[in-house]
Amino acid sequence: MANRIGVYVCHCGTNIAGKVDCSEVARYAGGLRDVVVSRDYQFMCSDPGQDLIVEDIRSLGLNRVVVASCSPRLHEKTFQKACARAGLNPYMMQHTCIREHCSWVTKDPEEATRKAEHIVAAAVRRVARHQELFSREVGVLPDVMVVGAGIAGIQAALDIAKSGHMVHLIEKGPSIGGHMAQFDKTFPTLDCAACISTPKMVAVSQEPNIHLMTYSEVTEVDGFVGNYKVTVRRKPRYVREDICTGCGTCLEKCPTKVISEFEEGIGMRKAIYRNSPQSVPNTPVIDAEHCLKLTKDKCGACEKFCPTGAIDYTQTESSVTLEVGSIVLATGYDTMDPSPIREYGYGRFDNVYTALQFERLNNAVGPTGGKILLKDGTPPESVAIIHCVGSRDANYHQYCSRVCCMYALKYDHLIKDKVGHSVPIYNFYMDMRCFGKGYEEFYERVQGEGVTFIRGRPAEVLEEDGKLVVVAEDTLLGEIVRVPVDMVILCTAMEPRKDTAEVARVFGVSRSQDGFLLEEHPKLGPVSTATDGVFLAGTCQGPKDIPDAVAHASGGAAQALALAAKGTVSISPTTSYINPDICVGCKVCIDLCAYSAIEFDERRQVSVVNEAMCKGCGSCAGYCPSGAAQIKHFNETQVFNELEGLLMPVKPPAPAPEKIEPQTARRPAAEVVPEEAAPEEAMPESAEPAEAEV
Amino acid sequence: MDTAVAEEETPQAPATEAFEPTIVAFVCNWCTYTAADLAGTSRLVQRPNVRLVRMMCTGMVDPKYVIKALLGGADAVLISGCHPGDCHYINGNYKARRRVKLLNDILDQFGIDRRRLKLTWVGASEGNEFAETVNDLIEEIRELGPIETRDMMVL
Amino acid sequence: MATTAKVDVPGSDPVLGVQEFLKLLLRQGEIGGVFVQTHLNPHGMPMPTLITDPERLDRADPLAPAFPMNAARMAARLTHGRSGDRVAAVLRPCEIRAFVELVKLNQGSMDEILLIGFDCLGAYSNRNYPRYIGGDDPMSLTSGFLGKTGGSEDTAQSDYDIAEACQSCENLEPLGADIGIGLVGMDLGDHFVVTAHTPQGEAVLSRLGLADVEDPSARRAAMDALVEKRTAYRNAMFERTHEATSTLAGLSEFFARCVNCYNCRAACPVCYCKECVFLTDVFDHKPWQYLGWARHKGMLKMPTDTLFFHLTRLAHMSTSCVGCGQCSNACPNDIPVMELFRTVGARTQAGFDYVPGRSFDEPPPLSVFKADEFPEVAGAD
Repeated sequence: MANRIGVYVCHCGTNIAGKVDCSEVARYAGGLRDVVVSRDYQFMCSDPGQDLIVEDIRSLGLNRVVVASCSPRLHEKTFQKACARAGLNPYMMQHTCIREHCSWVTKDPEEATRKAEHIVAAAVRRVARHQELFSREVGVLPDVMVVGAGIAGIQAALDIAKSGHMVHLIEKGPSIGGHMAQFDKTFPTLDCAACISTPKMVAVSQEPNIHLMTYSEVTEVDGFVGNYKVTVRRKPRYVREDICTGCGTCLEKCPTKVISEFEEGIGMRKAIYRNSPQSVPNTPVIDAEHCLKLTKDKCGACEKFCPTGAIDYTQTESSVTLEVGSIVLATGYDTMDPSPIREYGYGRFDNVYTALQFERLNNAVGPTGGKILLKDGTPPESVAIIHCVGSRDANYHQYCSRVCCMYALKYDHLIKDKVGHSVPIYNFYMDMRCFGKGYEEFYERVQGEGVTFIRGRPAEVLEEDGKLVVVAEDTLLGEIVRVPVDMVILCTAMEPRKDTAEVARVFGVSRSQDGFLLEEHPKLGPVSTATDGVFLAGTCQGPKDIPDAVAHASGGAAQALALAAKGTVSISPTTSYINPDICVGCKVCIDLCAYSAIEFDERRQVSVVNEAMCKGCGSCAGYCPSGAAQIKHFNETQVFNELEGLLMPVKPPAPAPEKIEPQTARRPAAEVVPEEAAPEEAMPESAEPAEAEV
Repeated sequence: MDTAVAEEETPQAPATEAFEPTIVAFVCNWCTYTAADLAGTSRLVQRPNVRLVRMMCTGMVDPKYVIKALLGGADAVLISGCHPGDCHYINGNYKARRRVKLLNDILDQFGIDRRRLKLTWVGASEGNEFAETVNDLIEEIRELGPIETRDMMVL
Repeated sequence: MATTAKVDVPGSDPVLGVQEFLKLLLRQGEIGGVFVQTHLNPHGMPMPTLITDPERLDRADPLAPAFPMNAARMAARLTHGRSGDRVAAVLRPCEIRAFVELVKLNQGSMDEILLIGFDCLGAYSNRNYPRYIGGDDPMSLTSGFLGKTGGSEDTAQSDYDIAEACQSCENLEPLGADIGIGLVGMDLGDHFVVTAHTPQGEAVLSRLGLADVEDPSARRAAMDALVEKRTAYRNAMFERTHEATSTLAGLSEFFARCVNCYNCRAACPVCYCKECVFLTDVFDHKPWQYLGWARHKGMLKMPTDTLFFHLTRLAHMSTSCVGCGQCSNACPNDIPVMELFRTVGARTQAGFDYVPGRSFDEPPPLSVFKADEFPEVAGAD
């Protein structure tokens, strides 16, 4: 069947038409080979705009369509659907961008129009070689995996479990709760973190639809949306969860003391330990690096005193494979180690604390039993809080960590409340950012409690006569201040987990410039990722406070549930295809494929693509010297044609017979039916044989 | 070559007219194409000389595409994708890097200056970087002059 | 693995010595057949031949200065799948290198082959070899070509010499072979040596019951001298070719006589595609496309895509080019294709620190990648 191409040039109001002469572009397109109709219209994506296309496909028998408007990342699907409504295979449409890449970035209208013509010519050439492609529906496994069991992972898991779907909740650490379990109070309501997070943790342990795996890590993810096969490595706990009652005798008897990670290095734990008495699960874990039994085959106290015989030194690492339809990543954040910021003295001066250390000082089950004390055991008589440590700092992290202003205010209040209202507190801040619900009110309340706010990033923290001295410029007064205090708290930045690169690799997701996991779209796709069926929850995507993390997590859960509830998902047909008549069986593509989507057919001695696993990246096609491997919708013929269109000398069309007024939605669209082909394309309209190409 | 526009693009144009290079850019859908969109929404003005070919990944850029573009009238080819470690397809950009290295080693022996085939990493969030890359490349190629293939009648 | 044994030469003709050695192999070396260049016609071109009957080896002449085709592809075909029998393939060093490349690309296998190489003194082009033999029985000329001590003879004739590829080949030692036949610097009227380079070669040699000798230093010295001479020739060839093709116009001139017959790619042992992409429908252009292209510049040379083809072939296989010169041999219009491909290949191979045919452990450069490499390639990153 001969090609019958329709070209639709969108004005996008004045977004395109303000720079590009759309009617001229349409007239130009009308002169291109096989173009049966070309129109320009004010808003192609509007209902009447789409109807124009649908109507033309039906009445003019179009079998190929080019839409020149905004980025295909915005409306490719819209126009594909419009074509499908008219009975045209959606892959017979080429959506090309003359807005973001042309009208919005080109200064000169004449140049912009020429560029648009090149872009349209390329799309017309390309679409001439498009082929019908068909999506496939595949089933979605009902179970969901949530990775990371901080507050975001817990929220996502509970939301999903409530719907009746099974959730595998994977936590790297020995117990769940994440950073929130370390906090004492939460801003701005000052309710205790444990009081609101512990019930959630317990709910996880009691929820029959949640399969909790702590001390476990995902090592490998195979498969594709709806059908992921996830390998989880379970580290040995050396304590049998099924027998242990969590009585805690072993913790008392263990003679080995180790610096506690959970206490942020300011408290101790035993070699057999759990984070806190409220830990979920409350089964302790033996730290194999420090346990005398496991390192030197001595001691064995825990085994001796365990009333239920739950200690098992013979446990080894094991692996399980789980099959899930989608994955929610809730891998959380790290706080920055402020040691590299030498001038603030962290690690050099005893009483310079990080924010998380202060959280532990403040916590009723922390190393000081919730008393705010200096290293020498006395309460501080004055405190400085330095904001934006490592945040909003070109040398460390450019971004704002979003939570520090608020928790600093919380500390202000807690110090006044616990140590005494007479204790002077100095906040060194850059800007106070109190944007959440009730946050500004909390800021005012703390100001009213007599806290001092000094605008300026401190230059350094010194030690003079046994006191810490914070040196800063008060930028509001324009003078240098030297403030002697007993304690300095550093509001350290939230940063991506140290293993984020590894997580990104394992789950096949990207990272943004700041190193956090990258969402699909900053506004409209904040919880999905570019990998279908992998969603984000909480601070792995970027700094968040608790309410934002919880809301984000519920979003991720909803996305995963949408997949699970529908039960099927459509798989893109733009995969690789290896022509067995051309393939010579060199197997190079098999090794180049990052998804193990190519197998070797020993009988025919050719490579074969597993379309369900193939993501259409084209690593195989980019190599294959004979062109046996080609990506559907991005095959060599299509790319060559597009190139030729881009490089074709553009001849501006003859001037319009009469001036065409700017279009309005009510007016019929300008139509250009080519009277004569442009010289470059002046071949007779022969009946073109259907071209077989894949 | 009988139109004003076409003449402007040919090396035979009068000496007073500045040479305007034609540049083809193969950009990956996930990073650089998105960055180009961002440059657009941020209204970062670019010279119109660069024409984008959207690829799903730089790893699908067949060396033939580059050769075809350079022989077919492009004064330079830009291949741009995700930063190392950020490839949407895990490692397509590393494969592209080897192919670009190979092509550069070949083409530059025939007087095709290495600057005419450029590989860059421009992430989805780097609209600024994209506009800068485009404008810098145009400037660089403008200084370098037209590619030899433009003058050649036999290829 | 440097067992070297002596093979006596009967009747002062090293060709007979090689035949005897092959017969011995076929009888005692657990070999199902010998794949060797053989004179099948009294005055014609010797062709690669698979021989299973030892008596049929009397026209085998792998050392003849004839190189009708790179037999690596045929050897690969003999090993692509199992036959149940091992074949000894007598190949030139460049053929062995090509074979190794093909094995890496799953076109052949080492499972059932014993590679026998020899010090290669080169060969005349397919056009000149008939001139060289004139009316003589080609078997009678080989010994003279090799010289009294291997490599001592001047190979130049009145107006021709061995192929450019051979004159500029510095890789004439059969290093990748299981067993290498050492000729250079030997008293070929009396004996030559065979050396095992692999455990497989070692095992086979040990079963033949030949007398051990040390690799004589005379061979080393003669080999070094020969390599030095050829390297100098090669470097001059590189320089000449590079100068001629340092612009696209020069390259176009270089291929001015090319008629897109693709014989070069058909003759190339490492162009392993079943069907060249330039013959697939991707390049099946439509009439209006030709006219459209012609209008760009007012004219269009046909067939089109000549430089496109050669540049693409360089991209596809220059890293694997073994310098056998069969492309030049196959060109109907005498384009010195080998010169260009070796010149370019020298650069592309060095770029990836890759030596084609050197080792099975070295994957072809474009079949692998590393996360951390070639930082200079990607802009300022």
